[in-house]
Amino acid sequence: MSEFVLQADDVAIHYGGVKAVDGVSLTLKRGEIRGLIGPNGAGKSTVIDAITGRVPLTRGQVRLLGEDVTALGPTARRMKGLSRSFQRTSIFGQMPVRKQIELASYKMGVADSGADADAVLQELDLLPMAHVIAEDLGYGEQRRLDLALALVGRPSVLLLDEPMAGLSVKESMDLAKHLKALTSRWSVSVLLVEHDMDVVFGISDVVTVFELGRVIASGEPAAVRADPRVREAYLGSTA
Amino acid sequence: MSIQRLGLGTLAALGGGAVLAGAVSSGTVLSLLTQAIIYAVFAIGVGVLLRQNGMVSFGHALFFGSSGYAVGLILQLKLMPAEVALPLVLLGLVVSAFLMGLVIVRVPGVAFGMLTLAIGQMFYLTASRSRGLTGGADGMNIEWPSTLFGLSTATLLKPANFFMISWGTLVLVMLLLSLLLRSRFGAITEAVRDNEERARFIGIQTLLPRAAIYALSACVTGLAGLLSALNTGFVSPENLHWSLSGVALMMVVVGGYKALWGPALGAVVYFLAKDILGDFANHWMAIFGVALITVIVFSPTGIAGALERLVKGKKASPAGAKPAGH
Repeated sequence: MSEFVLQADDVAIHYGGVKAVDGVSLTLKRGEIRGLIGPNGAGKSTVIDAITGRVPLTRGQVRLLGEDVTALGPTARRMKGLSRSFQRTSIFGQMPVRKQIELASYKMGVADSGADADAVLQELDLLPMAHVIAEDLGYGEQRRLDLALALVGRPSVLLLDEPMAGLSVKESMDLAKHLKALTSRWSVSVLLVEHDMDVVFGISDVVTVFELGRVIASGEPAAVRADPRVREAYLGSTA
Repeated sequence: MSIQRLGLGTLAALGGGAVLAGAVSSGTVLSLLTQAIIYAVFAIGVGVLLRQNGMVSFGHALFFGSSGYAVGLILQLKLMPAEVALPLVLLGLVVSAFLMGLVIVRVPGVAFGMLTLAIGQMFYLTASRSRGLTGGADGMNIEWPSTLFGLSTATLLKPANFFMISWGTLVLVMLLLSLLLRSRFGAITEAVRDNEERARFIGIQTLLPRAAIYALSACVTGLAGLLSALNTGFVSPENLHWSLSGVALMMVVVGGYKALWGPALGAVVYFLAKDILGDFANHWMAIFGVALITVIVFSPTGIAGALERLVKGKKASPAGAKPAGH
């Protein structure tokens, strides 16, 4: 088996003439956090959609634990350990917190779904809210619930689409620390799309920069931060 | 609600029905109540679809009417004994509804409602125009045999007895639905209803549960259709008409769909209102319409929702938010 848990090779998604993603290759090693940054519309979320099978590829290939999963749908990929969170909070609004986590755990084939649910809830500090209906939770708690749904069944790869969106600075930093600890403890590999630069450069092992559907830079955080093309394309404009 | 309480509730409901059947001496009142209960079963069918799938059907009369027609035609053509025909019709209905569901539940929102309306009206027109087979717009009499399941049909159809049969069916339907919906299957359908996309991302295949709920809902409504066919011994295209689907939907809205028993309550309220208001005004529907608007504005979760809030408010439960429903 290759050293990579996830490999996306030459992935392209074209909508008619629009090249949302155009020949992107990405890898994730076990337990690695790869930050993915770029201006709005650079194709970051589309890459996540492509890797998880939410949108069909125009060309390219996705390999999970060495296996080609390009032809599989999102449900089948999730069963094989490829999980994601959503940019817009995606939870089951009318269901109590624990019920939905336990259901997810059961559907992922975990033998003791109750214990697994409690472990995930514990991990994300949601245990006190176990019986609250999801839509009655606070925003930060809903974001953690979204994450909890993605973590059920101990996926090997987790694609996070702006998990900090809408959180306060303190909440963001807490969640970032949490994520870092979690990935090493559960040896999950993470692809992190996030606008909060402090978070991305703070917890990522490697950073990839997107512009107009292409990778313009990739490497260790310090090297990427210093890259003049990156500064010009992205960091310079926001800093 | 725990299993014990569910069992006790069922027994109490059955006992209460028996007491009521014994206490009410007027055959007219019992017939009215029986009719209300048959429509309560109908409305529960429509309500289940809304509650578990979040889908509004404008064509559920299709299942109410076609179960009556199916059993009527089978008996007319003497294809099989009535005891076999009844379960077979229900089974056929479930299978057809499931197959139909596999196609139409993919269609979202209003378009789904319009599809159900179109399919329902298709069958309405077919029944109206097939004079040779169904008697067309005049409807058809159902030739029930003189004994059914070893009992005299005349005895079964006595007001008090048929009231108990309908009441028992209603209670049984509620019990089975509560048990089914608290199972894993119930949770899966809730997840799909709340967020189909996320459901796919926790490993749920989303089409089958939705089609299954559609079939379940058709089955309950079909059961009401069979009761009605027994009760009146008659079925006409009116039983397939969209306006009947609309009436069932009104019952669901008035009663409230979040609680399983809401639509049943709505049906009873509808029939009582019809009976009481009908004495005063020819246009009782206008009055009922105003009542409907009032309920929608002041309690979108229906009378059942208002009652639940009342009970919960008095308890002032310290646990805070508790799951709604049941």
